[in-house]
Amino acid sequence: MTTEPKAFLTQDSGAATIAAALVGRVDGRWRLIGSLSLPAGAAPDAAAMVLLDRVRIADPNMATALGLDGARPSDLPRVEVASRPPRRLAVIAGSERALEPLVAAASRSGWHTVAASPEATDPLAMSTMLLDASVDGILAGAGMPPAADERRALGELGALLAAAAERRPEMTVVLAGGMGEQLATFGDTSARPSPVVVAAAAETGDAGAALRAVLLDLGLASDDSRRALGAATLSLAEILDRRVDLVEIGFDGGTRVGAWPALGTESSGVNLAVVPAAGLAPSDPDDAVVDRVATWSTAAGDRHRLRDRLRELRIAPWADVAGDGVELRLGAARAALASLADWTPDWFDRPAPDLVVATGGVWSIASGPSVVLAVVDVLRRSGASQYALDHARLLAPLGAIADPTERRAVMTDLADDLLAPLGAVVTPSGLRPGRRVGALQLHGGSGTREHELRPGGLSLIDLPPGEAATAELLFHDTVRLGGRGRRFAVDVTGGLGGLLVDLRDVPLRLPDRADLRGELLMSWQAAVAPQRKP
Amino acid sequence: MSDIGPDLSLVPVRQLVSSPVDVVFRLAPGDRSLVAAGDSVVVGAPIAQRLRDPRLDELTVPASATPHPGRRWVAPSETRDGGAVGGEFVFGWRGRWRVATGDIVDPLEVPFAGIVRDVRPGTSITVRAAGRGIRGVVVLGGPTRGRLHATPDGELRASSLDIASAGTILVVGSRVDAETLTRARAMGVRGVIVTGLSSKERRDYLASEARQRSALHRLPPFAVLVLEGAVRRPLAGGIMMALTALVGHEVAIVADPPMLIFDVPNLQVVPPPVDVVRIRGGSQAGREGRFVEAIGLRRFDGGVHLEAGLIRFADGSTAAVPIGDLERFV
Repeated sequence: MTTEPKAFLTQDSGAATIAAALVGRVDGRWRLIGSLSLPAGAAPDAAAMVLLDRVRIADPNMATALGLDGARPSDLPRVEVASRPPRRLAVIAGSERALEPLVAAASRSGWHTVAASPEATDPLAMSTMLLDASVDGILAGAGMPPAADERRALGELGALLAAAAERRPEMTVVLAGGMGEQLATFGDTSARPSPVVVAAAAETGDAGAALRAVLLDLGLASDDSRRALGAATLSLAEILDRRVDLVEIGFDGGTRVGAWPALGTESSGVNLAVVPAAGLAPSDPDDAVVDRVATWSTAAGDRHRLRDRLRELRIAPWADVAGDGVELRLGAARAALASLADWTPDWFDRPAPDLVVATGGVWSIASGPSVVLAVVDVLRRSGASQYALDHARLLAPLGAIADPTERRAVMTDLADDLLAPLGAVVTPSGLRPGRRVGALQLHGGSGTREHELRPGGLSLIDLPPGEAATAELLFHDTVRLGGRGRRFAVDVTGGLGGLLVDLRDVPLRLPDRADLRGELLMSWQAAVAPQRKP
Repeated sequence: MSDIGPDLSLVPVRQLVSSPVDVVFRLAPGDRSLVAAGDSVVVGAPIAQRLRDPRLDELTVPASATPHPGRRWVAPSETRDGGAVGGEFVFGWRGRWRVATGDIVDPLEVPFAGIVRDVRPGTSITVRAAGRGIRGVVVLGGPTRGRLHATPDGELRASSLDIASAGTILVVGSRVDAETLTRARAMGVRGVIVTGLSSKERRDYLASEARQRSALHRLPPFAVLVLEGAVRRPLAGGIMMALTALVGHEVAIVADPPMLIFDVPNLQVVPPPVDVVRIRGGSQAGREGRFVEAIGLRRFDGGVHLEAGLIRFADGSTAAVPIGDLERFV
């Protein structure tokens, strides 16, 4: 973008979806002109070509002003990202205990994992695992310093590892923590086509951030859309001066980003977790996957039938969407969100963000309120947050703009266009059972409205997109809503789903019986999207 | 987008026939490769010996044996009476070597002719097939080879199988059950090509396959090539035409990539006209028609809005179908 273009294209190419958008300069600022999502497998420029044609037909004057007359996609500058299938990392450690944090670190850093330790796996099986053609890298780790149960195994493990690394020189090897002492076993590593990296030990929480950053860097390509989502969310937090969480569910993995603006002497920052296990359509829907999806499924049917449908979803993710295809995808999305939550447990200790952004191809087929419900069903935190949808899949391409100043400038212009407001969600926790737990007064431009609060349910209160209001909540007993108390006042802004007061358990408890669970899920769905009919 | 309109280019493309085809045969430590990169292989040539029950022996090896990870270790007894099968150096530790070895080997035969592209001891052998391939979504079992035979009515039941089918690869159409697959293997059928295999039948068949694998007397190789997915739907017209043309010819099924390979140079496989699309999902799954134009967002069953195309069928009727439910062959 060095010659002051009047328009540019963005493209986010995923394994299942190609999302293209056209951004143009209107009245001195960048605006979203149009966007389109299509199944992957179409011609690379097809979406952009159709987009240009539609703009020319819909508003010829604007098309002329933007220099789009006769333009082809290749004539316009383009910001492009892509998500690729996650690669596989073989994780080994001296003991099963030491293996756990390593697998946890790798599994939320963009890698599929296979794992083994000498306690449970013999050296031949371990060598077979390391030499398997599907393995792209090795993570070997130990505590710093190594614990007694690890130390006795490290020498032999180092020799086995070095032999495998010599036979597979194209594999990147990461030696974490005390395993770094085995570096000498690898001999001269400078001649290897792929590096041997010495990294910090695996730890939970912030202490393990250094290793996770190394693994993310090795696991994701420079133009990876999930890597770009981290940068985009950080810019969004800085522009809005709000704490922003982003949740992405993709075909091959999920992403969770938490970003915060500068506050006093603290600078802005971002946490990024990329979880391949949180994909919408796992390649092999085993019993655990089927159970997870069945938990959130409202459709009756046996496990084999559900597994068949999940296999079909993997093979052709955009086929069979109409009818009950949306329910299947929202069930699979909730299952993926649950997996995302499992691999990022430390996120639940954080305060609720001011804004939650949902992105990913799966949300494009669902109504706004259904998207909010799917997210709050699974990622439950006490507090009040705004929800928004990256409806044009712009965030990842914008995050790929390398210069942070330029990225912020473009995103500032586009702030009103790139997010579709879904609404506000207020989620108190610690409610006691009873017929009534309190009342809500909504003070807005149209006056004050009062609503009764009943535990265990969802209350949807009409609040149009863009309308600001103050929700005053008075509870009979002390509850938690950010802090503990009985009286709270929170600023809320409306959206497609209005204001949702979620008085269900935190975390959610679902009946074991499938029929009761299905009824409950349908009643919640009906509460937020009652108009849904064939 | 050179010879098709921008609207038609929105429809996902599926390759009818792939060429060239690089087939990967997985190896494990201890397996012995019998070929080197650049070698030509003929149909049925053994390219490796796989250890049936590998183990790791710890040996003191003289330096004159030049031990190195991945190199072959020749057992002293092997040179005298052939009683051992040798092995592979895996790694050295404290002056002794761990060697992957075993007592029984199974030959790995390549089911097509080709040229060895790459050999990685303990990992894989890659062979470029002489010929072309029709890709599926998964292969259970294999590799295998046989004469292609189409079942008369596109259906295959266990009771209809007899010994006359031995040595053939059967095209059975939309769906098949585990009992039929098990009986087909027992009858000497070399493979089955099916559009869809449900998860239940797949699980039952794999359980039967696992029992067979543990038996001492092994049956000839057998493979199930699933072309589309897990639900019942008819074969695509283009694929059906290609398979019909291949009836009577020797073909192979391989697992990585999941594919039917044929080496019939004179066979012309003509893809359908560019505007012919197939509906692979939804209420009209399996139907084929001509793509008229993209018609933008349309509301479909369930209240969902999807990009759609207008399709004209052979009977003259038209329908709006989500673009995601369409595919076209090239």
